Amino acid sequence: MTRRKKMLQQLDNDIREHIEHETQDNIDRGMTPEEAHYAALRKFGNVARVKEQTHEVWMITWLEQLWQDVRFGVRALRRSPSLTVAAVLAIALGVGINVGIFSVLNGLALRLLPIPRANEILSVNQVLRFRGKGLRYINNNSGYFSWSEYRDYRDHNHVFSGVAAYQPYVEATLAGSNPRSILGAAASCNYFDVLQESPALGRGFGADDCAAAGANAVVVVSDAMWRNQLGADRALIGKAIVLNRVHYTVIGIARPGFTGTEPIPSAFWVPVTMSAVLEPDEKRLANDNMSWLAMLGRLRPQVSPEQVRADLDVIAQRINQQYSGRTTSLSIHTARYLSSPEERQFLIPVSSVILAAFGLVLLIACANVTNLLLARASVRQKEIALRLSLGAGRGRLVRQLLTESLLLSMAGGILGSIIACWSFMRLTGFITSHLPGDFPPISINATPDLHVLFYALLLTFCTGIAFGLVPALQSTRPNLNSSMHGDGAAVGGKRRRRFLLKALVGAQVAVCMVLLMAAGLLLRGLYYAQTVDPGFEIKGVATTLLNLSHQGYDAPRATQFMTRYVEGLSAIPGVTDVARAECAPLAHDFSGDHFTLQGSSEQIPIEYNHVTPSYFSLTGIPIVRGRNFTAAETHDASGVIVTESTARRLWPGQDPLGQTLRETSGHVRTVIGIARDAQVAHLGDSTSNYLYYPFGPEDNARSYVLVRYAASFNDVSNGMRTAALSIDPNLSVDVTRLEDYLEVWRAPSRLVAWLSSTLGGLALLLCSIGVYGMVSYSVSRSVREIGIRLALGADKGAVVRLVLWQSMRPVLIGGIVGIVLCAAVSSVLSSMMFGVGAHDPIAFVAVPCFLLGVALLATLIPARRAMDVDPAVALRCE
Amino acid sequence: MSTKEQQERIELLQGTLDLLILRTLQLGPLHGHAIAKAIEFRSDEVLQVEQGSLYPALHRLIKRNWISVEAGTSENNRRAKFYALTAKGRKQLSVETNKWEKLAAAIAQVLKPARQEER
Repeated sequence: MTRRKKMLQQLDNDIREHIEHETQDNIDRGMTPEEAHYAALRKFGNVARVKEQTHEVWMITWLEQLWQDVRFGVRALRRSPSLTVAAVLAIALGVGINVGIFSVLNGLALRLLPIPRANEILSVNQVLRFRGKGLRYINNNSGYFSWSEYRDYRDHNHVFSGVAAYQPYVEATLAGSNPRSILGAAASCNYFDVLQESPALGRGFGADDCAAAGANAVVVVSDAMWRNQLGADRALIGKAIVLNRVHYTVIGIARPGFTGTEPIPSAFWVPVTMSAVLEPDEKRLANDNMSWLAMLGRLRPQVSPEQVRADLDVIAQRINQQYSGRTTSLSIHTARYLSSPEERQFLIPVSSVILAAFGLVLLIACANVTNLLLARASVRQKEIALRLSLGAGRGRLVRQLLTESLLLSMAGGILGSIIACWSFMRLTGFITSHLPGDFPPISINATPDLHVLFYALLLTFCTGIAFGLVPALQSTRPNLNSSMHGDGAAVGGKRRRRFLLKALVGAQVAVCMVLLMAAGLLLRGLYYAQTVDPGFEIKGVATTLLNLSHQGYDAPRATQFMTRYVEGLSAIPGVTDVARAECAPLAHDFSGDHFTLQGSSEQIPIEYNHVTPSYFSLTGIPIVRGRNFTAAETHDASGVIVTESTARRLWPGQDPLGQTLRETSGHVRTVIGIARDAQVAHLGDSTSNYLYYPFGPEDNARSYVLVRYAASFNDVSNGMRTAALSIDPNLSVDVTRLEDYLEVWRAPSRLVAWLSSTLGGLALLLCSIGVYGMVSYSVSRSVREIGIRLALGADKGAVVRLVLWQSMRPVLIGGIVGIVLCAAVSSVLSSMMFGVGAHDPIAFVAVPCFLLGVALLATLIPARRAMDVDPAVALRCE
Repeated sequence: MSTKEQQERIELLQGTLDLLILRTLQLGPLHGHAIAKAIEFRSDEVLQVEQGSLYPALHRLIKRNWISVEAGTSENNRRAKFYALTAKGRKQLSVETNKWEKLAAAIAQVLKPARQEER
C-alpha cells in the first residue's frame, strides 16, 4: 500500500518533466515553443488515460483478485450446500449469542444517556483518600459530591457550559386512594437545561425554584408516571400531587423517552432544595462532608479532556484544603449508565466473565467448522494440488481459501446477529419485567447501535480467520506428488491432518468441560441457596418497612404512631410475637461503622442493627452468654450485643463480656451479651463482624416491624394493614413474608445458573457434533484398514474397541485439561456468586462423568459403522 | 475462455514494450524521456512508441522488481527519475529475448512459403 502511494506520488511530476524534455527537443529541432509543446503533447498521447493506466497497474491485482476469490468462493460453497448450511448455522449460533449478550451489556454500560447531544455530557466522580483518620458520610455512592462541593465546581469551572447535580433513587410515597412508594430524584434547578431536555408538557426547573431551601414545592413527573398513576391528564400542569404528605405543584411532564440519568427510571424530579422537606431527618444540604449528589457537566465546545481535568483539579485542591489529610482524585468520563468508578469496579470483571463464557461457545463452534473444512480439504486435495502444480502461489491459494471461510463467517455472522438483536431485545424486556417484586425495574436498551455493529463485525472477521486459517494452511501444504496420485498414499499428510482433527476435538471437549463445570457449580450453588438454613427461624414471620419520615411524620408523631401500632398488632389473632429492627434480616438493608478496640488504633469495620429485646426470641437467635437488652434501654445505653464470631475475632482467648468498643463518633460501648451467629445481613455469611444496639425512639422514623404468626399469612397481613390504616388512613403499608427476602438473594443465582446451563447445553451439543464428526470421518477414512484387519481375522469387537480407544483418547485428554482449567476458574466464580463452592465435589465428579458419557455415545454411533464394514467390498472399492 | 485469450493477447503486446524497455536499460540507467528516445533511435524510428504508454509499463516493471528507480539529474541539469535494470530484470531480459527470437523465427518459418507461392 505504502509502496503504491510512494510510486504514484510523483507521477504527475514525471509526466510534466517528460513533456518538457520533449518540448525542448522539438525547439532544438527548430519549432516555435508553442508548436513544440503541442507536438510533444501529441506524441505523449492521452495524459489522463496514461495516469489511469499507471494507477491500475498498482490497483488491479488485489481488488480484482478479491472479486475473483469471492466469486470462486461462492461457487465452491454452492457446490457443497450441506457443508455450507451446517457451517453457517454453527457460526450463526456462536456469533449470535455473543452479539446478543454484548448488546445487553452495551445497553447497560456503553450506551450514551438518552438525551440530546449526549456525547458532550461528562460524569464526574471523586475518589477521596485520607491520610490517617478521615470521616466522610456516604449516601448511595462514595464518588458523589456534597451540596457545597457541587456549587464550587458549578461556579468556578471554566470548561463546562453547565453543571447539574442530582440525588438519585429518592423514595417517596405518592398519596392517593392506594398510596404507593415511587422512586425519583432531587435535582439541581439547571438539571433540565444542562441535559437540554425540555419537558413534553409544561416546563423544567428555573433558577428561582432553587432559591431557598424547602421553599419551592414543584415537581416534574415522568411520562410513565403521568400515564400509569396520574391518568394521563393533560390539565395536570398547575395541579398538585402529594409526595410524603407535602403538596407539590406539577410544572412539567417529561418527554416519553427520558427516564432520568440512572438505569432505574425516575418517576419524578423535585428541586434539590426540597430535599429538606422530602426527607426532613437528613440534613444533607447543610452537610458539606456528605457524598450524595451525582454530578454531570456539559462540555463547552473545543475543550479537551485534559483541560477539563486540569481545571477541575484546581477546584478539588481548594476543597481539599478544608480537610486535613484529604486528597481527591477525580474520575471523569463521558456519562453513561453505571459510569462511576464504584460501579465499574463491579461491572468490568462480571462482564468479562460473561463475555468470556459466551466466547468459549463460539470457540467450540469454530472448532466444529474447522473440522468440517478439514474434512472437505481432503476431498478438494486433488483440485488444490493441481492448482499448485500449475503454478499458483501458496499465498494466493491461502488467500482464496480464507476468502471462502470469511464468506462463510459473514453469512453466519449476519444471520446470527440479526436473529440475536431481535431476540435479545425481547428477551431483556421479558426478564426485566419478570424480576421478583423487590427488584427495581431496570431499563436496559438492548437495541443494536454502532458498538454492537462493530463488535459483530470484529467477531465475524475473527471467527472467519480462526476457523479458516488452519485448514487453509494445511491443505495448501505443497505435497504435490503424492496428492496428485489421488488416494491415501500421502500417509504423512494424512497423519498430520488426523492429528489436527483430534487436537481440535480435544480442545472442544476441554472448553466444553469448563463451561459445563461452571454451570454445574452454579446449579449446585443455586440448590444450596434454595435449601440453605440461614441460622434463624425465617418461616412464619411477616414484615413491613414503615418509613414514617417519608410519609410526613416528625419524631414525636412517629413515636406516638408506633406505640399505638405495636399495641394494635399484638391484638391481631394469631400473632404470637412482635419485634422491631432498623434492618430486617436479609432485607438488603445494611448499616456499618468503624470501631477501635481499647489500646489499638486499628479501624475495624462492623455492621450493626438496632433491635428491640423481642427480636432475638422472634428470630430464634439465642443469647448464648450475658444478657438481652431490656425494654428501657435506648440509644443512650452503652451496652451492645455482639455475635459469637465477632467476639472470637476481636478478643481471642478473652472473655468478651465487659470488653469495650469505640465508635468513630467517640462513644464507647460495652459488650453485655453474645448472640449466636446467623446469616442476618448477607445470605451465606454468618461469621463476619456484626453487633446489635438497643432500639430507640430515634428509630421510629424508619423501621421494620416483624411479626411472628401462627395463622394464615393473608389474615395476618390484612390485620397488619388494617391496624396501620385505622391509625392513619393515608399510610402506604406493604406486608411481605420474611422468607420472600430470600428470593432477592436467589434471583441472581437463578438467572446466572439458567444462563450458564443454557450455554453449557449449547456447548455440549456443539461438542458432541464435533466428536461425532471426527469419529465418522476417521471411520470412513480407514475403511480399508478395517477391511484388512477383518479379512485377516480380527473379530468385530476388537475393531470397535480400537476405534473407540482411538477416538476417546483426545476426549479424555481434553476432559482432563478442562477439569484443570476449571479448578483454576472456579475460585473466581465462587467469589462472585453466593453459595458456589470452589471445589464442590459433586460438580467435579458428576459433570465430567456426564460429559464423558455423552462423548462416548457420540463416538459409539459412528464406531458401530466400523463393524458393518464388509472386507470384500472395502478392499475392492479402493 | 474468451477472457483468457484476450488476456494473453494483451500480455503479448505489453510484453513487447516491456522487452524493449528492459533491453534499452541494459546499457545503463535512463530517465523516462530518454528511454522513449532511445527506443525510437535504435529502431531507426520505425517503432513509434506512444510515449505515454511507457509509464504504465515502467510501473509494471517496477512492481515486478525487474527495474528500480532512483533520483538523479538529467543531461540538462534537471531533477529526474532514473530507471535501472535489477538482477531479476537482467535474468528476465535474457528469457524474454530468447522467447522473442524463437517466436520471430517460428513466424518467419511459417510466412516464408506463402511469399514463394505468391510469386
